[in-house]
Amino acid sequence: MTDATPDTRPLIADTPAPLARIGDHLVSRAAFLADVQALAERLPPARAAFNLCQDRYHFAVAFAAILLRGQINLLPPNRGRTTLAEIASQHPDAVALVDGPDTEIAIPILRVTAHGKAGEVTGPIPEIPGGQTAVLAFSSGSTGAPTAHARSWEALHAVTAQALEALAPEGDPAPTLVGTVPPQHMYGLESTVLYALLGPTTLLAGRPFYPEDVRAALTACAPAVLVTTPFHLKACLRAGLEWPSPARILCATAPLDPEAAGQAERVFGCRLDEIYGCTEAGAIATRRTTRAADWTTYPGVGIHAGDDGRARVRGPQHPEPVPLPDHIEVRGAGHFRMEGRLADQLNIAGKRASLADLNRRLNAIPGVLDGVFIPPEPDADARGVTRLAALVVAPDLSETEIQAALSECMDPLFLPRPLVRVGHLPRSATGKLPRQVLLDLLAHHGQCA
Amino acid sequence: MASQTAFEQEVARLIVDSLNLEDVAPEDIEPEAALFREGLGLDSIDALELALAISRAYGVQIRSDDENNRQIFASLRALSTHIEANRAAS
Repeated sequence: MTDATPDTRPLIADTPAPLARIGDHLVSRAAFLADVQALAERLPPARAAFNLCQDRYHFAVAFAAILLRGQINLLPPNRGRTTLAEIASQHPDAVALVDGPDTEIAIPILRVTAHGKAGEVTGPIPEIPGGQTAVLAFSSGSTGAPTAHARSWEALHAVTAQALEALAPEGDPAPTLVGTVPPQHMYGLESTVLYALLGPTTLLAGRPFYPEDVRAALTACAPAVLVTTPFHLKACLRAGLEWPSPARILCATAPLDPEAAGQAERVFGCRLDEIYGCTEAGAIATRRTTRAADWTTYPGVGIHAGDDGRARVRGPQHPEPVPLPDHIEVRGAGHFRMEGRLADQLNIAGKRASLADLNRRLNAIPGVLDGVFIPPEPDADARGVTRLAALVVAPDLSETEIQAALSECMDPLFLPRPLVRVGHLPRSATGKLPRQVLLDLLAHHGQCA
Repeated sequence: MASQTAFEQEVARLIVDSLNLEDVAPEDIEPEAALFREGLGLDSIDALELALAISRAYGVQIRSDDENNRQIFASLRALSTHIEANRAAS
């Protein structure tokens, strides 16, 4: 017996695979539901709640409890006070579900401490209306506050079904998803939380960070699927460790070069699949990088070139065709090649931002008279990660004060290094700032320092 | 400022070199000052890069489930002490 109707979708899949692994403790789906119900009863009435939990099990419990109460998961792009305040201004009744030492958050918090030992729920799996907005994810637009992208529960069901069909990560015993990506990121949500909620896989609660953490997690969780990014994968390859062989590697957030993909397949002894996606559209395509440069869309997802030169994607999870934030060459039905990012889009260690948005935020700081971010050269980060630089005119502010103001509204990855204070910016007669002139000014500063 | 020990000088050089901190002189890093956020303003990417450099130079693997992970990266002095202790143990 279930409460299913044509318009609802189950909260979790009915599968024997444990839902989560916390250290050595496996959490059954029935035990997960007990934690979800207990937390749902503690949630205050509201339209939405911030899900800031860092432990992946806590995140999953919070995610499901928010859904169960008919509320929306707010997934901010970073934890800056200004960022959270901007989103909170649109959702004044939202509390923040947290599990870490988040003492600086200026919104009411609710602490999540579930650990899969609160008993078991043996009744039917709860059903959630398919049209209910499950998450709001945010991208930095070129103007104004963060742009919200809504995902309904049926849309998340659809993309997860497509991914599970395209990638077939199941196995016997069920593989454990070892993720280095945060669950608030769309890729992290889809590949490290939804695959486990809605498919026959198990999520690892912890988030391994250092290569030695990743190695220990892969060893403890065999068979494991490593869900990671080019940045983290390359760090693991550079660490020179002896690696246990996972069942598979999934990689996303920035394109991986075929050489690194080949090295990863050799060193880890398993296949590596990349996933293409973005906050705007979610995951839409995959490729086995050592075999194909072209991406293949998920089953049922179409892609076409738009009249304005921007490719658009449409699947059952998209109410409208979604323009993609990259230069895309469509190469026959269901296949495309990514040629690069649109001019305004930055990607630092897998995190996207709009250059115009960063510049707007820099110039919005009281005391900053003029300022500009300077993106690194394309492909400059062959070794490690290359940061943004910034030139700032702010006679009454110190560099520390400017950095502190920036850190309130952007991910630390985008904080400029170096940040150089100058008397004025070398604007042309039309107000433009030629890149070479900016680079010369930066270099000049380096010599004087 | 407090003076750096010989080994702290070595680790300070490793930090500056591995993170390309062009604006920072190794000898100017306060041994007891915070490395992350308030101090040198380092972040998680830097922590990973630094961990790789430490493993290459000293064979010491940094783990985030070390109970004292926050303390390890608290300052140049704490980091140097951790490296010396674990290098000696291996």
